[in-house]
Order: sequence, then C-alpha cells, then structure tokens
Amino acid sequence: MYGLLWDALVGLLQIKYLLPLVIGTVAGVVGGALPGVTITMTVIIVLPFTFGLDPLQGLAAMTGVYVGGSAGGLVTATLLGIPGTPSSVATTFDGFPMAKRGEAGRAMWLGVWASLFGGLIGGVFLVAATGPLAEFAVAFGPWEFFSLFILALSMVAGLVGRSLLKGFLSGAIGLVVTVLGNDPVMGQPRLTLGIEFLEGGVPFLPVLIGVFAFAQIMADVEKMGGRGGLAAALDRAMTLSVSHGKVVWEILSRPALLMWTSFIGVLIGVLPAVGGSAANMMAYDQAKKLSRHPERFGTGTPEGIIASESANNANVGGSLVTIMAFGIPGDAVTAVMLGALTIHGIQSGPLFISQNPQIAYGIFAAYLLAHPIMALVIAFGARLMLRVVSVPKAALFPVVLVLCVVGAYALGNNMSTVYVLLVFGLLGYAMVKVDLPLAPLILGVILGDQIETNLIRALMTDADLWLFVTRPISGGLLAASVASIVFALWQHWRVEGRIRDIEEASDF
Amino acid sequence: MIGRDGVTGLVACAASLALFWLTIGLEKNPLVPIGPGFYPRLVLGITAALGLALLVADVLRRRARPRAASAAPAVRLNYALVALTFAAFGVYVLLLPLLGYRVATFLFVLGCSYLLEPPRRAGLWLRGPVLAALTTLATYLIFDDYLAVLLPRGSWTGF
Repeated sequence: MYGLLWDALVGLLQIKYLLPLVIGTVAGVVGGALPGVTITMTVIIVLPFTFGLDPLQGLAAMTGVYVGGSAGGLVTATLLGIPGTPSSVATTFDGFPMAKRGEAGRAMWLGVWASLFGGLIGGVFLVAATGPLAEFAVAFGPWEFFSLFILALSMVAGLVGRSLLKGFLSGAIGLVVTVLGNDPVMGQPRLTLGIEFLEGGVPFLPVLIGVFAFAQIMADVEKMGGRGGLAAALDRAMTLSVSHGKVVWEILSRPALLMWTSFIGVLIGVLPAVGGSAANMMAYDQAKKLSRHPERFGTGTPEGIIASESANNANVGGSLVTIMAFGIPGDAVTAVMLGALTIHGIQSGPLFISQNPQIAYGIFAAYLLAHPIMALVIAFGARLMLRVVSVPKAALFPVVLVLCVVGAYALGNNMSTVYVLLVFGLLGYAMVKVDLPLAPLILGVILGDQIETNLIRALMTDADLWLFVTRPISGGLLAASVASIVFALWQHWRVEGRIRDIEEASDF
Repeated sequence: MIGRDGVTGLVACAASLALFWLTIGLEKNPLVPIGPGFYPRLVLGITAALGLALLVADVLRRRARPRAASAAPAVRLNYALVALTFAAFGVYVLLLPLLGYRVATFLFVLGCSYLLEPPRRAGLWLRGPVLAALTTLATYLIFDDYLAVLLPRGSWTGF
C-alpha cells in the first residue's frame, strides 16, 4: 500500500499532474475566499476544464479545488471577518478578533497550519481506511447495496434542512428524476414523455450544475443592489508576517485538541451530507466545552481557530473515503468528482481501488500534496486574494453561467444537456424558495439507478423481501437508517420544542 | 387556504400521480417478470404520499396556529431581477444553436452584466464589452481549440 502511495506521490510531481493540481488548488483557495462562491460552485466551474485531461489530471485538479476551497475561506474569515465558505464560519469567531487586535498574521497562519495538520490527519485516515472499507464492501450483495444506499439517502434527507418531510420529499423527487427514461436493468423504454433524448435517462451532471449553480447565483441576485468593496475593509497597514515556528508550536503544543477536532472532521466527512459547515461548528463547540478557559472563546483564542480549521480540512479526507470505498458522494463536491469519474468511464464503488489503483492512489497523493500547495498559495497570494474578493458579482455571475453552459454542453456535445441544465436550474431555485433541501435531491439522482438495479437484482435472485432484514449487514444498515430517521425526528422535535418555548415566553 | 408548503405538496403529489398513471400501460419483459414499471410505481407512490403528507401537515399547522403578523421588517428581495436573469439565460440557451457560441455568448455576457449592474459611469459601460469579449475569446480558445469541445455553430450565422 505504502509503495503504491510513494509511487503515486512521485508520479504526481510530474509537471503534467502537478500543474492541474496547483491550478485546482489556486482556484479552490480563491473560490473559497470569495464570499458567496462556495467550493461546490468552484468545482462546477473547474469541471469542464478537466474534460480534455486524462482522469488523474482532472481528479488532481478537483482534489486541489476541494482542499484549497476548504482552507481558502479562512483568509477572509480571519482578515475581514467574513467567512468565504460556510466551512469557515467558526474561524471568524476567534480569527477576526485576533486580527483586529493587531495579530492578523498569527490569526491567518494559525488557520493555515491547522488546516494543513488537520488535512494531513484526515489524509492518514483516507489512506489507511479506504482500502479495508472497500474490501469489506466488495462482499456486499444487492441486498446490502440497496440497504446502504437507503441509509445514505435517509441520513441526508433526515439531517439536511429544517423539515424531515421536506428532506424525504426532496430525495424522492431525485429518485423520480431517475425513473424517466429506459429502465436500467433491461433498457426497456418508460416515461420518456415522447422526448427522444430522455431514452438515455437524465444525465446527473447537468442536473447537479443547474440545481446548485442557479440556486446559489439567483439567491445572490435577489439581494443585488448593494456594493461590494470588501477589500476596502482591509487595513492596508495590516502585516501578515509571522514567526512560523511559533505558530506551528502553538498548534502542536495542543495535540489532544488537534487530534480530537480532526477526528470530528473526519467522522463528519464520512457521514453523507453533513459536510464541512457542520464540522467546523461542532469542532469549535467541542473545543470550547473541553477548554479550561471557555470564556476566552470568541475573543481571539488560538484554540477556536485551530479547532475550526483542522476539522474542516480533515472533513475532506473523510468525504473522500465515502466516495472511494462505497461510491457514495459525501457532499456536492464529491458528487461532481463522481461525475468526472463517470465521464472518463470509471466505475466508482468498492471495486474502484482494486480496478484503478493508479487513479485511487493518485487521488490520495493529490490530496496529500494539495495541503502544502494550499499553504504556499495562501503565503504568496493572501493580499492578492483580498483584492480578488472585490470582484463585482455583476461581472462574476455571467461568466459563471457561461461556464455552466459549456460544462453541460461538453458532456455530450449537444444542446440537450444544456436544456436539462436550464430546467433543473429553475427547479433548483424553486426548491430553495419553497425551502426544500437540495442535497437529498442530488443524492437521489445519483443513487436512483443503483437503488433500482440492486432492488430488482435482489428480488430476481430471491423474491423473499425478508432477506433485506435477515441478512446481517443489510439488516444492520436498514436498522441504522431507521435509527437515523428516529434521531432526525427527535432533533426536529427538540428544535420545535425550543421554538415553542421561546414563543410562549415572548407572549408574557 | 393552504400555504407555500401545501402548494409544494400538492404539486409534488399531482405530478407523481400523473407519472404514475403513465406507468400503468408499461409492458412486462419475460426476462424480468417484475417489469419496468415496478420501481417507478414504488418511487412515484412514495413521492405522492410524501407530497400529500406535506399538504396535510401544512393545513393542520395553519389550523393549529393561524399565521401571526411578522414583527420583523421583511427583507426586500429583487425577484424582478431574478426573473430577468432567468429570461436572459433562457434566451441565451435558445439563441446558442441559432447565433452560434461566440455571438450568443458575447451578447449574453454583455447583456447580463448590464442587467445585474446598470452602467451609470463610463467605466461600467466599458467593462461590459471587455468582459464579454474576454469571456467569449478565452472560453472558445480553451474549449474549442484546446480541449476539442465543438462548441455550437449558429444555423443563422454559420459562425
């Protein structure tokens, strides 16, 4: 295993792989630093540029975006008090107060180094756990795969959004999208609605691009009218120079904090859909609870920055485990990566590592190398990035929309996929307006065909439905699905109770 | 009266039932006796049920707690701009095969940037065409020339 990893690391240092990785990391850091541009949107923008590359070049670029984006948000979070991405919200709590009291360099570099260490801890888990988990999953039959996909879908539907019912409805709409077109088992036409293009089914990448890009852009367009001028908030006299030895020691002298918050990040990354935004908040909360001086949190304490940033980069490692071992995207970014694999004719899932070891270990190597590259990019470009964040959205959005069109068009070199993009762009925005979460829809679209194929295979092998429950792994996975729904119900009930208490208290 | 959730549930339920109706005539395959309609019916049935549940939950919630007047001032959202942006994008998509990628993209980027930030000074008037030209040129060179993605040629322009 380590021999393969070493070979992949050396191989990735070739300019043809290193260049896409560096460009991807730069794009990720800049996209992450731009408030209002998420990592998902950045990876969607980068996607069409990877079509003409070989699979590893493309995936290296995307891994760079993912790692760079997870760290990029900390630049604006610490220096401007504006989190570039949701995964750096908690960094703002202590990073910005520290910067305001004249320690901008320390605040930013605590974040960068914590991201690097957290990311590398996530990398150890990624390299060590993916293979064994994939080997475990190889033994799965259709019953287990069906139950695994149901677990992923129920977790996403239950944990995302404010309403469990809406989460499930969104996931179900995603599954409905996959029943349009020929059935995946025998290729028999069904529900094509008289549209020839639908015979091949609805391709998921234009759906993903349309739903996420439009939902985000239009949500920003709604609020347009004000002026940006973020860079104006930057104190030009602010110094970012710092003693790196001291900053690194500040982090490494707190090994328990670093390990624990990185572990939280990895764990949340492994769970589908929870994502970096939850990882940094939960890690911050844990660091505060375990601290001997919780009262210092929010005033510019280094523990707050370390917890948040180590968790959100470790989270990336966890997310990659889920997609590489099981073929289940943990979030929208890994969903796009899954799409990129499909474009290159590579089947994701438990056999991915054994059938494509060069690519799998190449992704590991790209992930590990992207961290020091990210640190270098921030070291050389932090001030420049603060200028970039002042790019007006009126100039940015038309360009992003054009790239979405090119990305969709390039999938099949025809306009049909662009029409799919437009339709699902409208649907995505409508879903945001009616408060339906987008993540379950996407997971439904991605997993729909596999859920159907495994269900039909299982029933054709043995029509006994009890096998889904009585086979130990399948039964365990279904029990976990039920547990995740019960947990989500309990969580919603608790939140509703709190809201009711607040409303009753305000009546008096 | 039903609220936003109720309408969402109703639309989801109605659309699912309409698609469910279309699955009824699907022929079974002798190799797969379950048939191509089994799974769609299952999924559409669940979706219809979830839509109905959302509708019922909305009605019950409204009966239990009639909507109170909001104390907080509502944030004014620019829906007109959203509609115009969608319309501009729709026109762009429709014009792509007619005008070709280069002409349609130039016009879209120019129009959309002016739409999102109406030019009130010389710099903004200039930014539109420069941005449109750069975007069109850069994407065309990268995708069509370098990455071999044959971007649409216009049936009207031949360009």
